[in-house]
Amino acid sequence: MKRLSTLLAIVVLSFGCEEIPPVITPVMQVESICDEPAPITDQQRQVLVEEFTGVRCVNCPAGSAALEELIGQHGDQLVAVSIHAGSFAPPYPESFDTLRTAKGEEILSFVGEPLGYPTAVVNRKKFPGGFNLQLPRNGWPGAIEQELQEDPRVLIDIKNNYDEATRELETCVTLQMMDDLSVEESVFLTVMLLENNVVDLQLTPESSEPDPNYVHKHVFRDVLTSAAGNLIQDEVTAGSFVQQSFAITLKEKYKADDCSIIAFVHLGGDTKVVLQAEKEGW
Amino acid sequence: MDLLQIFRKTLTAGALLVFGTVISFSQNNNGGTLSGNLEANGNFFIRDSLIGAANTPQYDRQLYGADAWLNLSYNNWGFDFGLRFDLFNNSNLLNPTGSFTGEGIGRWYVHKKVDKFDISVGYLYDQIGSGIIFRAFEQRPLLIDNALYGARLAYDLGENWQIKGFTGRQKQQFDIYEPVIKGGAIDGYLSFGEEGRFWAMAPGLGVVNRTLDDPSMNSIVATVNTYTAEDAFVPVYNTYAFSAYNTLSAGPWTWYVEAAYKTDDNLSDPFGEFVLSDSSVVVGDKLYKAPGTVFYSSLSYAKSGLGISVEGKRTENFDFRVRPQEQLNRGLVNFLPPMARVNTYRMTARYNAATQFLGEMAVQADIRYNYKRKFGVNVNVSNITDLDNNLLYRELYTELTYKYKRTWQFLAGLQIQRYNQEVFEFKPDAPIVETVTPYFDILYKFSRRKSIRFEGQYMIAGKDDKGEGHDYGSWLFGLVEFSIAPSWTFTVSDMYNIDPGKASPIDDSGEKAALHYPRFDVFYTHGANRFSLSYIKQVEGVVCTGGICRLEPAFSGVRFTVNSSF
Repeated sequence: MKRLSTLLAIVVLSFGCEEIPPVITPVMQVESICDEPAPITDQQRQVLVEEFTGVRCVNCPAGSAALEELIGQHGDQLVAVSIHAGSFAPPYPESFDTLRTAKGEEILSFVGEPLGYPTAVVNRKKFPGGFNLQLPRNGWPGAIEQELQEDPRVLIDIKNNYDEATRELETCVTLQMMDDLSVEESVFLTVMLLENNVVDLQLTPESSEPDPNYVHKHVFRDVLTSAAGNLIQDEVTAGSFVQQSFAITLKEKYKADDCSIIAFVHLGGDTKVVLQAEKEGW
Repeated sequence: MDLLQIFRKTLTAGALLVFGTVISFSQNNNGGTLSGNLEANGNFFIRDSLIGAANTPQYDRQLYGADAWLNLSYNNWGFDFGLRFDLFNNSNLLNPTGSFTGEGIGRWYVHKKVDKFDISVGYLYDQIGSGIIFRAFEQRPLLIDNALYGARLAYDLGENWQIKGFTGRQKQQFDIYEPVIKGGAIDGYLSFGEEGRFWAMAPGLGVVNRTLDDPSMNSIVATVNTYTAEDAFVPVYNTYAFSAYNTLSAGPWTWYVEAAYKTDDNLSDPFGEFVLSDSSVVVGDKLYKAPGTVFYSSLSYAKSGLGISVEGKRTENFDFRVRPQEQLNRGLVNFLPPMARVNTYRMTARYNAATQFLGEMAVQADIRYNYKRKFGVNVNVSNITDLDNNLLYRELYTELTYKYKRTWQFLAGLQIQRYNQEVFEFKPDAPIVETVTPYFDILYKFSRRKSIRFEGQYMIAGKDDKGEGHDYGSWLFGLVEFSIAPSWTFTVSDMYNIDPGKASPIDDSGEKAALHYPRFDVFYTHGANRFSLSYIKQVEGVVCTGGICRLEPAFSGVRFTVNSSF
C-alpha cells in the first residue's frame, strides 16, 4: 500500500492541476442616469428562455427555428437569449467571430449542463419530471405556457441611452415590486447585452460543412451584472421601486442597431426562478 | 490487514487522487446473513484540448470525479432486506459532457416469501420475457438505473407456473418519475419425453401499462399545439404493451420466439420534419403517435464442439419510455436485445450498432467450432437495416484460435464493418464508415506464474469522395500485457491514428495530426483485494452496453480503483 501511495503521489505531482478560474467583475460605480421612477403600466408576465447552443451542434438550428416559432406566437411575452456555451460551442477555425464567451460558460454552469442539445432553460425553473433546469426542445412550449399563467411579481422598465460617436451605452433598469419580495431569501437582477442577426458559421443537417451564411438570433454577448446576477440590497416590499444604472462600451464588431438589453429578476437560494424579464433596444 | 487499515490507506491514496474501492464482506449472526460490497470509481482529469478532452466542467475546473455504491443486504427470519448508498461527486457518468453531484439512498427493498406468495417492495429490478415490453435494470457504466419504485407480488400456481403483478414508478437518480408503470406476466415450464429424448417449453404472456401524469401531458399538449394541423395529433395517457414468448428446447436445439405489440403511444422522432410558417423545412425532434411492434426469434444448436445460432428481430415504433420527453438512454421502460456481436478488442469494438427503437430489421448468425480443445473457429455475421432497407450496420467477424502445448495460445482474425455514422451519431452527410480490421492475440506462459500477452489490431478505414479517410481514418493498436500470477498485471498499449481521417484533430500547423493515445495499467491483486491504476488517453467514441449507446467525449487522465473483498 505504501509503495502504491508513493507511486500515486508521484503520478499526480507530475501532472499540473491546471484549472480555468472564474471571471471576477467587481461592481462598477456607475453614475445614476435614472429619472424619478414612474409606475410601469401595460406589462404582462414575460418569460425568459435561455437557449444553450453551439456552432458545432448540428441539431441546434432546428431548436432555434422552434424558438423563433414560439416568439412569433407569444411576441413580447417571450424574452429569448441564445447562449453559445458547452461542448458544441468551440468556434471553427474558419469562424468569423467566436460567439462563445467565458461569461456564457459561467451561466451554463450556474444553471447546469444539459444531457443533450438543443436545450433551453425556461425561467430557470425545474419542471416536474425534468432532470435539471435544462429542457429538451419538446419541453419548451409546455413550460412557457405554464409560466405565462402566473402574474408578474415585479415589473421591469429599461431605458437605454446610446451614444453612436463613443459607442457608449448607458442603461437604467427600474423595478417595480408588485408583491412583497422581502419574504424571499434573496433577489437578484441580471442584465445582458444581446446582438441579433449575427452571420457566422453554423453546422446544419444539410451538409457536413458548416453553413457560413447562417443567421444567429439574439446572441448573448455580455453581461452587465455578474454572470449569476447582482444581489438587490434595496427595499423590495410591495409597491417599492429599485433603480440601477449600468454602462458599457460596445465592441467595434457589434452592430449597434441589432443590439438590445435584457433584464430579469430572479431569486437566490435553493431556487433560481426568474420572476419577470424585459427586453429593450434603442 | 483489517478493514479500517485498508480504508485509511485507501483514503490516503484517495486524497491525492480520486479513489475507487470495492469491498465485500459477509457475516453470519443468529442465523441471519449480512453481506455487502462497496464499489467506487474515480478519475483525475488532465485537460488535452487537442484530442478534445476539454470544455467539460471536469477538465476546466473540477479536475476530479468519483462515483461510489455501497450495497448491503441482510437475510433473516425469511426476509431479505437491501440498502444501497450511492455517491456521485463531480461525476461524468450520468452526462459525459456535464457534471453530476448527489448522494443518498440509491436503493432499498424488502422481500419475503410467504407460502406461495412472493412479496417485494422498494426499488425493484425485474423483467418480462427478454425485456422487450418491460425491463427494470441497472448498468453502471452508462449510469442507467431503471429500478421500479413500487411493489411486486408473485404467486406460484403450481410447481412450474408463476403469475406476477407489479406497480410503481421509475427511479430517476435520487428522484422518481411521475408516470405510473404497472404490469404482470404468467410464466410456465412444460417438459415431455424421457431422459435423452427430452422436450421442454417455457411459455409466457406479459402486459405492461404506462400512464402519463398531468404535467407531462400538459407539456406534450403545448408542444403539439405548436404543430400544423397535418402534424398535430391527440396524445394518449395510457399505453399498453403485450408480449407472448416461448422457449422450446429439444436435444441440442433451443428456439426462442417473442412477439410484442404496443398500443398507440406518444413518440419522439429525432429526424422529424417540420414545415415552418415561412414554409421552410427543418429537421428535428418531432412528436407523433403510433402503435408499435417487435418480433424477435433466435434458434441455436449446440453439440460436441459445434455451436450455431441464428437470430432475427424486426422493430417498428417501439420506443417505450416513461414520458416521450426523455432523451437518449433515460426513462426507458423496456430493453430491446442488441443484434450484433459484442466485441471486446479495442479496435473491433470501436464502432457499435446502437439499438434503433423506431425502426430496425436485423439478422445475425454465429458459428463456433472447437476441435479437441486445440483449434477453434468463430464466424459471426450481422446485418441491420432500417425499415426502408437503408443499411445501418453490417459486420463479418472471423476468429481462429490455436493452442500449442500448454505454453502458447494464438488467436487471429479479421473484422469487416459498415457503420452508418449519420444515423448512429447524428453526423449529417457522414458517409457509411467502412473498416477492415485484421487482429491477433498471442499468449505465452513462461511458467505457471508468469505470462506475457501481445495484441495487435490494424483498422483500415475506407475513403470518401475527396480521398479523406472515414471518421478518424486508420488506426494501429498494440498492447503488451505481463502477468505475474496471482498478484501483478502490467499493461502498456497505444492506439495510433496512423492515417488520420476527416474527423481527426488538426494541430497547430494546420495539418491533421497523427496522434498517439497511450494507456498504462497496473493491476495488483492481494488476496481478495484488487487495485488498479491507469493512465489513459482515449479518443472520443460511442460507448455501448447491451445495445444502448451514447457518445463519450475523449478522455485524458488518471483512473484509480481498488477492489477489496474480505
